[in-house]
Amino acid sequence: MQTKRTIAILGASGNMGSAIAKALAKGNDRLLLISKEEEKLEALKTVITNEYPLADIEGMTCAMHGSWEADIIILATPYEAQTDVAEKIREVASQKIVISIANPLNATYDALVTNPETSAAEELQALLPHSKVVKAFNTTYAANFAQTVIDGKQADAFIAGNNESALETTAELVKTTGFNPIIAGKLSVSRTLEAMQLLLIQLTMKYKYNWLAGWKILHQ
Amino acid sequence: MFELLIKSIQDKVPSTEEELHLCKTHFTPKRLRRKQFLLQEGDVCNRMAFIEKGALYSYTTDAKGGQRVMQFAFEGFWISDLYSFFTREESKLNIEALEDCELLLLDHEQHDYLLKNVRQYETYIRILYQNAYVALQQRIEGTLGLTAEEKYSHLVEQYATIVNRVPQHLIASYLGITPETLSRIRKQMASR
Repeated sequence: MQTKRTIAILGASGNMGSAIAKALAKGNDRLLLISKEEEKLEALKTVITNEYPLADIEGMTCAMHGSWEADIIILATPYEAQTDVAEKIREVASQKIVISIANPLNATYDALVTNPETSAAEELQALLPHSKVVKAFNTTYAANFAQTVIDGKQADAFIAGNNESALETTAELVKTTGFNPIIAGKLSVSRTLEAMQLLLIQLTMKYKYNWLAGWKILHQ
Repeated sequence: MFELLIKSIQDKVPSTEEELHLCKTHFTPKRLRRKQFLLQEGDVCNRMAFIEKGALYSYTTDAKGGQRVMQFAFEGFWISDLYSFFTREESKLNIEALEDCELLLLDHEQHDYLLKNVRQYETYIRILYQNAYVALQQRIEGTLGLTAEEKYSHLVEQYATIVNRVPQHLIASYLGITPETLSRIRKQMASR
């Protein structure tokens, strides 16, 4: 692809948002880093520019304006903010890929707050009916982006969604970040993917994985 | 965000609120800044763009990197590489923003959906294609038969604002003349 795409990362100053931004800066896309925390954004831009001097990045504070310019939107905001953010970007996100990374965990990290018959991603799709919502980057910790090979194995990253071309595009993005993309299925598979991260977090705390752990499907 | 598009549809095919809403939900609102690309040569053109605000132009490049301007497009116009859009072959065109733009994009999949499901859209698109065909033939006739001065007068008649919005060297390229010739023609016309 010759024509440069623009990817907006909403919540770019957060742990996951900045990890995704750094990882995508390896690619050829233009990145709009969006956050209200301007100082943190400036610091992130400096870090990225030092490592990738040719990276095409810009900081912005307005989620709506950033999403309007974007071809692809990554919602790296907490699950609790999902409804508010969706409201702001609904009109300008029409027909765009919107990547949901959120895990709807409770405060003590021992349960999901969503109803078992839905998921954060499906709720987002209901809030953005004309967008192509894709679940991705929810089974990976922020630290994994700097080290996608753990114990000699490249971590898998699962993707779910209802639109074929949106899944393929997202798989390419996942590949750019260094993970092994696995298209898991329809958007409803997000229920399983979100529960997988709940389990990984519980195991990480129990067995002290030091927040560097991931999923790998073993197969022949 | 959709004002000019709705006007463009209503002018050609009177439609109900419901039909317009259905059309609206299939478009992608997209802002493009000056000098950014909607399409670069080598990609298959997968979308058509309606311009709500701003201006774009399409061009090919020669071996030395020089631009050959094909088309200018302003508010209320559509721009795309229909050849690549229909044939799915790689485009030889670049489409670049001359100004900051607000666009409404329609990709192949959504275009097909609307053609199948919204009769008004099919009529609207047929009228657009007719107009595009007429414009293309006029462009060819102009290239083959008209003098540089006639071509320039014709262009300014068609788009009054073009002189203020488009750099002279791009207008010259569109007309197939050198910027010096264009400058001479403009001086001659001004002195009449």
